[in-house]
Amino acid sequence: MTDITLTVVLPLLGAFLLPLTRDNALAWLGRLFGPLLLAVSAWILFMHWSTFSAPQVVILGGFAPPLGIVFYIDRLALLFALAVPLMTLLLWPGDAEKDALRRQSLTLLLAASLTGLALSGDLFNIYVFYELAAVASYGLVAGSGSAAGYLAAFRYLLVSALGSVIGLLGIGLIYFETGTLNLAHLATLSDELASPQGLAAFAMLVIGFGVKAELFPVNGWVPEVYAAANRRVAALLAGLASKLAVLVIVRVLLLVFPGEEARQLLLMLGILGVITGELAAWQARDLSRMLAWSSIGQLGIVFIAFSLPGEAGLIAGVAVAMHHLVVKTALFLLAERWGGSIDKLRGAAGVSALGAGLFVLFALSLLGLPPLPGFWSKFLVLGGLAEAATAMHYLAMTVVLTGTVLEGAYLLRVITTLYASPDDTSAPQSQKGSSLLASALLGVALIAAAVLIEPLWQTLGDIAAQGVDTAGYTQAVLGTVSGSAGS
Amino acid sequence: MSTLFGLIFFVGAIGLCVIGIAGIVLSRNLFRMVLALAIAEAGANLMLVLAGYRWDAVAPILAGTPATQPMVDPVPQAMVLTAIVIGVGVQALALSLVIRVKQRYATLDMREARQRMQDDLDREAGITPSRSQEQPAGERPLPPPSHVAVEAAGGGHD
Repeated sequence: MTDITLTVVLPLLGAFLLPLTRDNALAWLGRLFGPLLLAVSAWILFMHWSTFSAPQVVILGGFAPPLGIVFYIDRLALLFALAVPLMTLLLWPGDAEKDALRRQSLTLLLAASLTGLALSGDLFNIYVFYELAAVASYGLVAGSGSAAGYLAAFRYLLVSALGSVIGLLGIGLIYFETGTLNLAHLATLSDELASPQGLAAFAMLVIGFGVKAELFPVNGWVPEVYAAANRRVAALLAGLASKLAVLVIVRVLLLVFPGEEARQLLLMLGILGVITGELAAWQARDLSRMLAWSSIGQLGIVFIAFSLPGEAGLIAGVAVAMHHLVVKTALFLLAERWGGSIDKLRGAAGVSALGAGLFVLFALSLLGLPPLPGFWSKFLVLGGLAEAATAMHYLAMTVVLTGTVLEGAYLLRVITTLYASPDDTSAPQSQKGSSLLASALLGVALIAAAVLIEPLWQTLGDIAAQGVDTAGYTQAVLGTVSGSAGS
Repeated sequence: MSTLFGLIFFVGAIGLCVIGIAGIVLSRNLFRMVLALAIAEAGANLMLVLAGYRWDAVAPILAGTPATQPMVDPVPQAMVLTAIVIGVGVQALALSLVIRVKQRYATLDMREARQRMQDDLDREAGITPSRSQEQPAGERPLPPPSHVAVEAAGGGHD
């Protein structure tokens, strides 16, 4: 089988080769290069997904774990890794845009590092990939070229770098307590981390990796960055990058900190995220910042879901995260031309009926209207919360339901504006063909998911069963000391 | 003696982190924020080195020394090397962004620049600027009468 490390190496190589094709005879090759590499990555990951039998371990550099670095491939990792090339292909910056080549190579860099985040099984390796992804996203945000874009990127960089310092301290603390950074090895030593020091290390990691995951106290950068950056970049960061950061936190939670306190911490931060995000989105007066705040609220729900114990929590979390990945990406694509003031969208449905229809579809799924996948994902979260049945979980349930009501208020406000009769002062712009096509594809995926909910449920069950199988993880990594090196 | 040194270094590492974080939170100057970030990173790196340091050990290089001698744990040192490289890159990027911000907004004051960014974003989105302390939202309850209006009203009664 083709080596899965290629899915990280190829986009990384492409990211550094692509600038060489500027203004020379190879320019035509450069245009095809990025999408081709991403398509190859997606193909390799899809082959691994379709022929998947048991979790695999790829040993990098020939050093056996726990000393060496490994990639761990199970269905959970493959699902998130597969989302990376697919989404970046969908949001690929076109050639017509300003600075297309630079943005294309940064997008490739982001894709490589996010795939690495999904597959890596070593805490420090995860830190390096996370920093790579962060640097790529600073560049993408600053690439809008506007003064606001530069300042937004700088403020994002400060928050993110501060988060990295705190995360690095957390990693240091874990190393100080256990003497290892291999996730599987840490899983066997998790008893040693069931202490105040361990919990402090977990809190530091959550703050560090939570910056990209739009977690409650470190998400101040979100609205200004998504408003100042190109909408496709916003879609990439809100939809894709945040999910991979969530995956890192979830892996650490499942393997290294199985204790109740760590889950309580995530639950609390998730509740605060839903409250702040939804209230601020309700107040927003322009579509891009409304979507940005709403994405903070949605990621709050994701964290609430992952804080639920056992398989049920993982199923609910993956469902909410994947649903948000599809829906928020599509909504940001639709906001590419409609990102301004909501009042100026009057009569937009008359200008672009398909765009408005898609917006309604995604908004209703985000709200959780029954036949759409959004309903099932929220249903799973609420069911899990009701089952856990402590005061904190009931509070979370109330908050999620109240958040849904607020979501309804602001999304329906946008929808009624879209279908209102236009006033003559300013007509809204029509949708761009490429973003309309991309969001239509996502809409088809959403409807397909609604139809195929039964097999999806089965797959989610498989993913979750493997995800919570800590013993299987440690066995796969530490048991194959002389295992397959690389191929 | 070595424990005393260890304590001093630990306190120093935590102190650097605290100074750096306080600098980022309290400072208003963009350039000072970058410097504070560099200090915080130095603190975190020192902390990592200390996590694997032994006072009675030699550098973890095999050439020349007998393998029986105790060695310093090489893993944190390798990590710190990586972290330093990443930190330098991020700081350079931060400085380049500061230069761009200074060129466009002609200020290094975070509050001022941020206000101008919010105004830019609001203007781009086509909404009236969001609330600020200088310009509260909404109309004044009682607009002060202008001279013309007062005179016109007075003239009408005569």
